[in-house]
Amino acid sequence: MPKWGMVIDLETCTGCQACTTACSMENNRLPGENWQDVLFYQDGTYPNVNLSWLPRPCMQCENPSCVSVCPTKATYQTDDGVVLVDWDKCIGCKYCMIACPYGVRFYMDEKPLIEPDIRGVFPGDSQRTWNPPYKMPDAVEDRSKGIGIQPKGVVSKCTFCYHKISNAPAGVADLDEDDPATKEFTPACVRVCAPKARYFGDLDNLDSKVNQLIAEKGGVRLKEETGNKPKVYYLSGGGSPVVPGVRSTRKS
Amino acid sequence: MKIGGIAMSTATITARGGPQPAASEDARQPGSTLPSVLLLGAVVGLVLSTGFVLYSLSEQGHAAFNTNSAGIVWGLPIIIYDYFLLTSAGLTMVASIGLVFGVREFEPIARRCFWLALSGLIGGVAVLFLELGYPLRALYAVPLSMQFASPLFWKVLLVGAYTVVLLLLLFTMDATRREPSIPGTARPLGALAALLAGAITLVAGSVYGMMAMRPFWFGGEIPVTFLIESVMGAFAFAIFFTYFAYGFRPSRMPVEIRQLFAGPLGTWFAVMIALHFLFHSGRTVTGLWSNAEGMQVWGHMVASPWFHLALWGGIVLPFVLMAVTSLRRNPAIQIVASLLVMVALLVSRYEFIIGGQMVPLFKGSWAPGLLSYVPSATEWALLLVGLFLANSVFWFSEWRREM
Repeated sequence: MPKWGMVIDLETCTGCQACTTACSMENNRLPGENWQDVLFYQDGTYPNVNLSWLPRPCMQCENPSCVSVCPTKATYQTDDGVVLVDWDKCIGCKYCMIACPYGVRFYMDEKPLIEPDIRGVFPGDSQRTWNPPYKMPDAVEDRSKGIGIQPKGVVSKCTFCYHKISNAPAGVADLDEDDPATKEFTPACVRVCAPKARYFGDLDNLDSKVNQLIAEKGGVRLKEETGNKPKVYYLSGGGSPVVPGVRSTRKS
Repeated sequence: MKIGGIAMSTATITARGGPQPAASEDARQPGSTLPSVLLLGAVVGLVLSTGFVLYSLSEQGHAAFNTNSAGIVWGLPIIIYDYFLLTSAGLTMVASIGLVFGVREFEPIARRCFWLALSGLIGGVAVLFLELGYPLRALYAVPLSMQFASPLFWKVLLVGAYTVVLLLLLFTMDATRREPSIPGTARPLGALAALLAGAITLVAGSVYGMMAMRPFWFGGEIPVTFLIESVMGAFAFAIFFTYFAYGFRPSRMPVEIRQLFAGPLGTWFAVMIALHFLFHSGRTVTGLWSNAEGMQVWGHMVASPWFHLALWGGIVLPFVLMAVTSLRRNPAIQIVASLLVMVALLVSRYEFIIGGQMVPLFKGSWAPGLLSYVPSATEWALLLVGLFLANSVFWFSEWRREM
């Protein structure tokens, strides 16, 4: 059984947000409710300003606090280590949103994060809160894994495109968009990354590209102090602090 | 003086002073219209407020709330739920002082405290049900999940057991509802209810205290803080509603209750307020001192007038009123102190729950440093739903005692 993980090379990432767009299209996301977001950080004041960015999917933690707090086991971890939400078990208590250190979860049944509310343009039916024109095929939807159009009253999050990666050929070390054999099983955000800043593979496979990159370039994880052990690693070229997100935003 | 338009004496309560009803007898005049009038008023208020909330929810769903996925996901409904639940648990513990621990002076208010506990519980849980995405699913999905690692699993389990025990207890006591003493058969149930109530407060504190990713909440002292706040709030509610039940006329109260109010009740209340002050001020000072990311909320909170209203008006002032012997026996002073504590606790609960969510967890520097939240009209209406529902249950119990 693989242990899927992702590596994001911040030295290569251009902050173009193609990953965000691809994820939104692949997973029927509402505008603004980005499972895969790119966060921007501004340091200093004009003329000495530095702009940096940080792509942020769900960290798919090894010890996910969202799984521990969920009172119905609606949030669970698959055998291959991916954290999913069973929409048929979720009660919408939102405790997982409280407990996730990375803020990657979204509740459906609230004011839209971006106006106007597009749900009014493409109204849904009893099963779906809305019917976007670009929705995924019905056969791919799986409520027990939080894949598809998010119903009302439940929480959703990035699934690492579980509907793709779970069908990958057994034993592959990496899911690479450049490899015809694995292209279709590669997560949308990885597949569209134009500068090739994202890599996806089996963290338990010593031959995988992700393991090689983490070892050679010093991959780091966000908020290690929480003990959640993310399976998303960042490469920053060794500078410190490596990720803008770990800097305090507290005013001096 | 007048409170709520009802004349009452400002004289200090003494067990011996003034015309007194016979001991061991509810002194309220049989056939008093007060409970029935208040019950009717509460039911009308409940119908109106629930009607407004249900209309809003049917039109907008939970978009009628001002919470969202940007950060503030638990808003006023959760604050109301916790406020009512903790008050309920505290009232059961206060009732058990007499019933379980044998402090006889407290026994005369035990019955009313148990009813108040049930009232608060029903009011709080009703509000929670209107907040959850799938409340009916929660009824079976949580107990059957066996998710032992989740504090919410234990909280739901304990609240379920607590509800059953409280209902059984009140059913057991119903046959003797016009007598001041509690039947012996109710005592084991009372002990069990108190045990569950204590566990609920500790677990409710753990729901927040275990969240290491939210430094404002994180800490082992939070469950203890909840326990203290719960008992302190319970004293306030017990004092206020006991006076209310007798039309704010202490002379109508049975002698045993007058003895309790003139004696140890004020002291116990003062001690709980003092403990609350220690925990509250301790957390505030350490929070203001800390440079840790997430603790900047304390600076924001302390700059708010609501914080000072709750601290000076809702903790320090009631403590002074209850600490000075000559003041704490005065019925009007007791009512004022209890009202101040009741309001301040709600403000503190609001600050605590919203404060823990104000720092965006991971949103980049283009997100605001601190998130803002103002409850919507529907959320405020939920407070009315909780208040009117709790009052409906309580005044029903008072009305029934008249029968």
